[in-house]
Amino acid sequence: MASMTSAPEAKAGTLPAFVLALLLALLAGCSGNEVVVQGEFPAPLMNRLPVKLGVWYDEAFTGHEFFDEAKGREESSWLVKTGTAQVQMWDTLLGGMFQELVHMKGRPAPDQLNPLVDAVLIPKVAELQYAIPAHTNVKVYEIWMRYHFDLVTTRGEPIADWSMTAYGKTPTAFMRSDEAAVNLAAVVALRDAGANFATGFQRVPQVAQWLNGRQGSPEAQPPAATSPPGSTTAATPDEPVPGGETPVEVTPGDATAMAGEVEP
Amino acid sequence: MIRTQITLPLLAALLAGCVSSTVDEMVFNEPLAGIGDASVVILGRRHSSDYETEFDFIRCVGDHIASRDRSITVIDELDFVNALYPWFEPRTAPMHPQDIDRLMLQEPVAQKLAELKTEYMIWIDGSTQRTNSAGSMTCGIGPGGAGCFGFGTWGNDSNYEATIWDFTDRAEVGRVNTSASGQSYMPAVIVPIPIIAPVQGTACDGIGDQLLEFLSSEY
Repeated sequence: MASMTSAPEAKAGTLPAFVLALLLALLAGCSGNEVVVQGEFPAPLMNRLPVKLGVWYDEAFTGHEFFDEAKGREESSWLVKTGTAQVQMWDTLLGGMFQELVHMKGRPAPDQLNPLVDAVLIPKVAELQYAIPAHTNVKVYEIWMRYHFDLVTTRGEPIADWSMTAYGKTPTAFMRSDEAAVNLAAVVALRDAGANFATGFQRVPQVAQWLNGRQGSPEAQPPAATSPPGSTTAATPDEPVPGGETPVEVTPGDATAMAGEVEP
Repeated sequence: MIRTQITLPLLAALLAGCVSSTVDEMVFNEPLAGIGDASVVILGRRHSSDYETEFDFIRCVGDHIASRDRSITVIDELDFVNALYPWFEPRTAPMHPQDIDRLMLQEPVAQKLAELKTEYMIWIDGSTQRTNSAGSMTCGIGPGGAGCFGFGTWGNDSNYEATIWDFTDRAEVGRVNTSASGQSYMPAVIVPIPIIAPVQGTACDGIGDQLLEFLSSEY
């Protein structure tokens, strides 16, 4: 084992340092760009909904990544891994939005054993597009995502399903690499997804109907100890959203110029 | 020692390009006695599709105010936006002072703002753009050494507008607009010598001075 690790080191020592550096630079040019999205996501500041929510992240979601292969010699391939950041953001958001958040053991189905909850949310990244200045000649890095949500019972019966978009951008900056800029744009897009979900959840007609139906039921009343000060027992779908009459949907400036993936 | 003290600023002045700047101001209900123990938050607008107000510009204006009048508490932009997530994201941020009333309907938000003692909210919208560039430069490396030869020049334009909201009265109480432009040069004979026009810094000082006059009782 020792000889296996020492052999390459001895060989490397014989090569002049600048040849190695040149070789590494050339190899770096051949390899693609890889970004593992990393960021910090704050908990939402809002009244918690009196719902014990379950969440199920499937493998495609927890390991979500986007790969765009280079189409020519001038371009480089891009691999953007968002899965870990997605789980981190949604756990923080849902944990702050609902009275209780529980992770499911399996996808809700009649024969699947899961903790008892009021409803289970299943998020899915349906589409992701990105654009960098090399694609668009605009000095902005952009990430655009479309999510699809299923809200189901623990037996898998549908309550609501809807789609939602998220957008993040960051301008070019001196001494900032393409990777760092794409990471920052992805973090902004994830924060935007959280903001869109938090302000729009109760406006989804099927969700509003379901929440209203729960209003009179005994299980809808939150225990006083777990409810934050000033929390409401049940929110109404027409609760006002600061910043405008309706949440503004921000879409990328030039969606056609963005590279992307679409889940069938 | 004295020679160094004279030489360094002279060198800095020689290596700085020229910048021209204009500041317009219109304010009402100035707090003549200052803002007391209340705090101010300076936020950048980032909802436009083709530009966004730079975080470092917002930090520069905040530092400018806080360093000249230490009695003024300027809340860090990112700390404020994180503490009030998701209500100050580009999608949800209030666009008019009246929107604050809607925001205050959320009890945790009202509590947090009261805790932060936010008296004024200043929104800055704008950016610094490169306007033109010309020239060329060639650099080479060989066994005997390395060097560059050529000349490059580029221009920068800054345009920012600060809108001051009074949190107590839910009203806009002032606007400060600053624009600055300058040309930077980089001649190179073996060693490139950057002569940079501090366009964004001048805009920061311009807007910072006007906001200081508004907020501080000492200016």
